[in-house]
Amino acid sequence: MKKVFSIALGVLTAIGGFVDIGDMVTNSLVGARFGLSLAWVVVVGVLGICVFAEMSGRVAAVSGRATFDLVRERLGPRVGLANLLASMAVTLLTFVAEIGGVALALELATSVNYLLWIPLVAAAVWLVLWRTKFSIIENVFGLLGLALVVFAVAVWQLGPDWGMLWHDATHPTKPGTEGLPTYLYYAVALFGAAMTPYEVFFFSSGGVEERWRESDLTTMRNNVFVGFPLGGLLSLAIAATAALVLLPAGIQVDTLGQVGLPVAVALGKLGLAVALLGFFAATFGAACETGLSVGYSIAQYFGWQWGKYVRPRQAARFHLVLLLSAVIAAAVLLTTIDPIKVTEYSVVFSAVALPLTYFPILVVANDPDYMGNRVNGRLANALGTVYLVLILIVALAAIPLMIATKAGM
Amino acid sequence: MTPNDTPAAPGRQYDAVLHLLDRQIVDPDDLLIAKVDDLELTRRDDGRWAVSAILTGPGALGPRLHGRLGEWVGAVWRRLHPDADPAPGRIPISDVIDIDSAVTVARHRDALQIDGLEIWVREHVVGRLPGSRHAE
Repeated sequence: MKKVFSIALGVLTAIGGFVDIGDMVTNSLVGARFGLSLAWVVVVGVLGICVFAEMSGRVAAVSGRATFDLVRERLGPRVGLANLLASMAVTLLTFVAEIGGVALALELATSVNYLLWIPLVAAAVWLVLWRTKFSIIENVFGLLGLALVVFAVAVWQLGPDWGMLWHDATHPTKPGTEGLPTYLYYAVALFGAAMTPYEVFFFSSGGVEERWRESDLTTMRNNVFVGFPLGGLLSLAIAATAALVLLPAGIQVDTLGQVGLPVAVALGKLGLAVALLGFFAATFGAACETGLSVGYSIAQYFGWQWGKYVRPRQAARFHLVLLLSAVIAAAVLLTTIDPIKVTEYSVVFSAVALPLTYFPILVVANDPDYMGNRVNGRLANALGTVYLVLILIVALAAIPLMIATKAGM
Repeated sequence: MTPNDTPAAPGRQYDAVLHLLDRQIVDPDDLLIAKVDDLELTRRDDGRWAVSAILTGPGALGPRLHGRLGEWVGAVWRRLHPDADPAPGRIPISDVIDIDSAVTVARHRDALQIDGLEIWVREHVVGRLPGSRHAE
């Protein structure tokens, strides 16, 4: 019974923890402009994150080391440092976006300007990272994030023509009003949102925090192969609500309120309240995960003690990085830069940084020195290689598309 | 040695670049100490070179980064170090008791006294915040 409970808890938190500000904003934005004609990208992206999360989780369980603990050994200190700086910059940008997202959710709930919330949110995130147990962070925000299921309920309540929705999703055609570069630019953004690099940083380091062993591999695979795809369905539900309500009304998504608008239309005040809870939990949980990921990546490069499994004074430099990240994020947001814009850029720059994160995972997961007989099988390597090629194309195309479309104008 | 051999143990042959450089160093309590940032080689009586110590910290890592960046890392480290002519952290190879996905050393982290920045941050920043001794 205890085993069933722990598997169920793992899957549920994986679902609720899957969606972050990048997924919410990008899916809603794309749904409102392109309907479900880009839904295939979410499916491709979710399969990709499953393939690589499984690899990095397996590395953590078998070798007892987080994937990026091992990257420097295989890439050398120089390339490893370049990799660290690029992935850290993207993760920090995502961290800024998540904190902004929490503040925007609080503004929607309280009508108090989000800028007033920023210092409080940054302080609260730091306090949670300082004091709260790792498993509590993961479980509480993962479970509360399930409130986003309200978007799936909203789709059902809106009573769409299911045949049409399915047809739109499975026969993707670019809407006539949009140019091909714009269509591709948003495909890149969706892909970046689904495969955000921090998710695998966090996943493998979390495995070490929770002391995974080889016996935990089944649980880990359940979380990945059941939880992540169901989380991806939540992303698609957000896109579908936007496609059903915002697209016909010609509303474009520039605010978090517009992301929640279709839920209000379908389910009224109560539905909106649940959606706001979902926004808050998803962004706060992701803020904790990205904040930790910044600390993990630096500490793992330099060999510093890291993790929530030791007292803060035993991991002093790691906790200093967490503190500084929270201060920097608050400072950036207090320049009154639009958090939604930060989110849009963060998912595209995530797409640019994807090869830096995913190539080393493929290398380490094939290294018998760490993995023994748990190295990648043929299927994992075949999928991993196909995705690596895809990721490279996406990464190279991202910046030219951004320039060509003036960031999706 | 072939990759399928069991990981190298002290006193046996191992590939210093493949099995030592850049690997995580841990203490007997599994606390993380540092990375193997560089190795100290000493010429033995028979004329062959042997690894005599593991070197850690920016002083050891800087030269391996090469170029301007490496010089800069070394310069910042020398300027901030309390000693006039600082040397990198050094762990004699005789202290190493196991090499697998990490390098385990026999002495405890705090006894080594090689991570100056960690100690400084602990004493001046993190240790002063309430709850820093709080365990999970």
